[in-house]
Amino acid sequence: MLAYVVRRILATIPVMLVVAFVVFSMLMLAPGDPAAVIAGDQATPQDVERIRQALGLDRPFFVQFADFLWRLLHLDLGTSIFTNLPVTHMIAQRIEPTLALMVLTIVLAVSVAVPLGVVAAWKAGSWIDRGVMLFAVFGFSVPVFVVGYLLAYFFALEWELLPVQGYTPLSEGFLPFLENLILPAIALGTVYIALIARITRASMLEVLAQDYIRTAKAKGLGTLPILFLHGLKNAAVPISTVVGIGIALLIGGAVVTESVFAIPGLGRLTVDAILRRDYPVIQGVVLLFSFVYVLINLLIDLLYTLFDPRIRY
Amino acid sequence: MRRPDLPDAAVDGAARFTASGVFGQASAVRVLRGVPQANLTRLDPIRATATITRTHAYLVYDTLLGLHSLFHPLPQMAQGWPIEDDGKVNTFTLRDGLRFHNGEKVTARDVGAPIQRWLARNGFGQEVAKRHAAHVVAVDDRHLRLTLQKPFALPMKANGKANALPCFVMPDSVAGTDTRTQITSELGSRPYRFVREGWSAGLRLVCARFDGYVPRREPTDGTAGAKLAKAGRMERHIIPDRATAGAALQSGQVEFSEIPLHDLLPVLRRNCNIELVVRDRTDSVGMLRFNHLVASFDNRALRRALMLTVDEENFLLAVVGDDRGMYATSHSFRSRSRPMQTKEGSEPLRVKSLDRARAALREAGYAGQRVVQITASDFPGLAGLSQVTADLLHRLDPTLEFVATDWGTVVQQRAWREPIELGGWNIFHKIWSGPAWVEPNSTPAMRANGTEALVRRADEQAHGGPARAMV
Repeated sequence: MLAYVVRRILATIPVMLVVAFVVFSMLMLAPGDPAAVIAGDQATPQDVERIRQALGLDRPFFVQFADFLWRLLHLDLGTSIFTNLPVTHMIAQRIEPTLALMVLTIVLAVSVAVPLGVVAAWKAGSWIDRGVMLFAVFGFSVPVFVVGYLLAYFFALEWELLPVQGYTPLSEGFLPFLENLILPAIALGTVYIALIARITRASMLEVLAQDYIRTAKAKGLGTLPILFLHGLKNAAVPISTVVGIGIALLIGGAVVTESVFAIPGLGRLTVDAILRRDYPVIQGVVLLFSFVYVLINLLIDLLYTLFDPRIRY
Repeated sequence: MRRPDLPDAAVDGAARFTASGVFGQASAVRVLRGVPQANLTRLDPIRATATITRTHAYLVYDTLLGLHSLFHPLPQMAQGWPIEDDGKVNTFTLRDGLRFHNGEKVTARDVGAPIQRWLARNGFGQEVAKRHAAHVVAVDDRHLRLTLQKPFALPMKANGKANALPCFVMPDSVAGTDTRTQITSELGSRPYRFVREGWSAGLRLVCARFDGYVPRREPTDGTAGAKLAKAGRMERHIIPDRATAGAALQSGQVEFSEIPLHDLLPVLRRNCNIELVVRDRTDSVGMLRFNHLVASFDNRALRRALMLTVDEENFLLAVVGDDRGMYATSHSFRSRSRPMQTKEGSEPLRVKSLDRARAALREAGYAGQRVVQITASDFPGLAGLSQVTADLLHRLDPTLEFVATDWGTVVQQRAWREPIELGGWNIFHKIWSGPAWVEPNSTPAMRANGTEALVRRADEQAHGGPARAMV
């Protein structure tokens, strides 16, 4: 087990190197020049060129990449071209809201979607099953921003129950913290709930048709132990896989959700940086997201062995 | 008009040149919370032409001169300036009580250094420096002398200009920063000081009232006159989504929001707690720009042919919607209701005939060459203008390639000088704030300084462009 964990952790290094190369290459190849954006409307081509030189953007690609990697090894993500602030500082300023939003969304999604999927499988073909699947279709079909605006309209403007935008740090109280995050978490979690509920249902349907479930029923075991102890545990591998894969969905959705609800998180930082071609910030945030994604999938892989001891690598 | 109990702009005068905004009801406002028109990314007012940078700078940095609402220069930090030697020597006396936010007195050296930086960076300033060999020297702590080689009537107007790159005063040590490098201090002398620790890039800007500021006694008028700080603290929350900004205003989370979404104006008007205020009476101006350096619009006859199709109202409708109180057609290069407004030269813009345009295109020698239009889809106003132009071109039958990207890409593309076959472009749109179109000297878009002119307007130099107007 330990050897497996070490092997998996070591395997993340080449993955991150590839990610770093791809991110760096994509930004270099994409149209848009930060020097031109910085120089502004009244700049001459000479001004733009001077800024490019000052930023080191006129150096060969591999020289810039080597410099980027060297700094990365020292945990130095560089300095924002526009704000002159260290990228690590900007990420540190923004990481709490994004982390809080994602954790709350995952907790909300898993605690809603898994029981929904289990119940839908248990009552397959009934109106409950159809209702859950209808919700799943809705969740997949309606974009995050539409759900966000609808929630903001009803809960914030019409009923005045929750704030429409912003973020309150956890240090300023749990209730205000939750008040600001509940609508974004529901908006972001809708598609995630849909995804997990569908997979849970499909996986549970397969498990509930197994002989040992029939045996458990024959033994006179109650519905809840059958569903959640015997059924869900054996259906957990595909569910946990989807939860892991869904993190990527959440990262993409967080960018939109943070814009709609004006949450000062990494998603908004990414969008702002992309629009301004603030290369160091884009590279830093994408690398961080990639690292988190790789890390979560590593954890999911490790969880497999807990759910099913027969799994060995 | 705003209600008497609504918060006034945090500082009168500073906000005169910002665009329209909406104000929500608030009682006993000590902290004024609002949504600025954009994210503040660059704090150095001499390095960025963005409106948000300028608005921010007007809160923090004072100016030697201001412009009143009819755009005449008036003393601001200056007490006055006798003009000697036929206008070649101007000696400014600084008024009493000027202090930086750290409590230190503002000296003539502090005023002179930013002027030198501004002369090197601003188009109008560069012309003054180049053509008139402008020389600025501090005579003593209170007196500053501007010397010109030959008489020139406009240095005060140049120094007091309120559009792109006004001349803001900062300490001598800060203003000594190279023009290619951003300043790293925000020490100013206006009624609000920038609270750096409250600044979170892309999220929030915080300014606190500077109690050491002594306002002028004259009433506020344009960027001139008294600057009265009415809120103890001002927090500007950056909300990129304008619909969310509107919702935040409706729910009372913020007290003002600049440049609300036009689609939302009817909703905001219905809310009795919200008042719509047009702060910028100089209007915003949309511009359709041809690339004069490459085919096909290096041909003046072709440009004129396309002008025959332009119906200003259609463009405005695409940006503002059908709210007639929010737009006006003027057929003038200058902002309407301003002294220099004229319809002269705008005759082709009043024709509005596709048939005549088609005939003119044929006469001009157009034979189906590809036309490339670039636009930014992340700015709704620009996207609206661009789509109307694209529609006109489609109806005229040119082979149009419509390239919609984001503003960052457009900024790079438009600097490209190569022909269409090598990735060049023909047409793009831009929206300017009104003060840039008040008079020729302050209009970068009309400066005909050769290939260095803004966005490829080079050929006019040969025909005596507006740059000559300032000589």
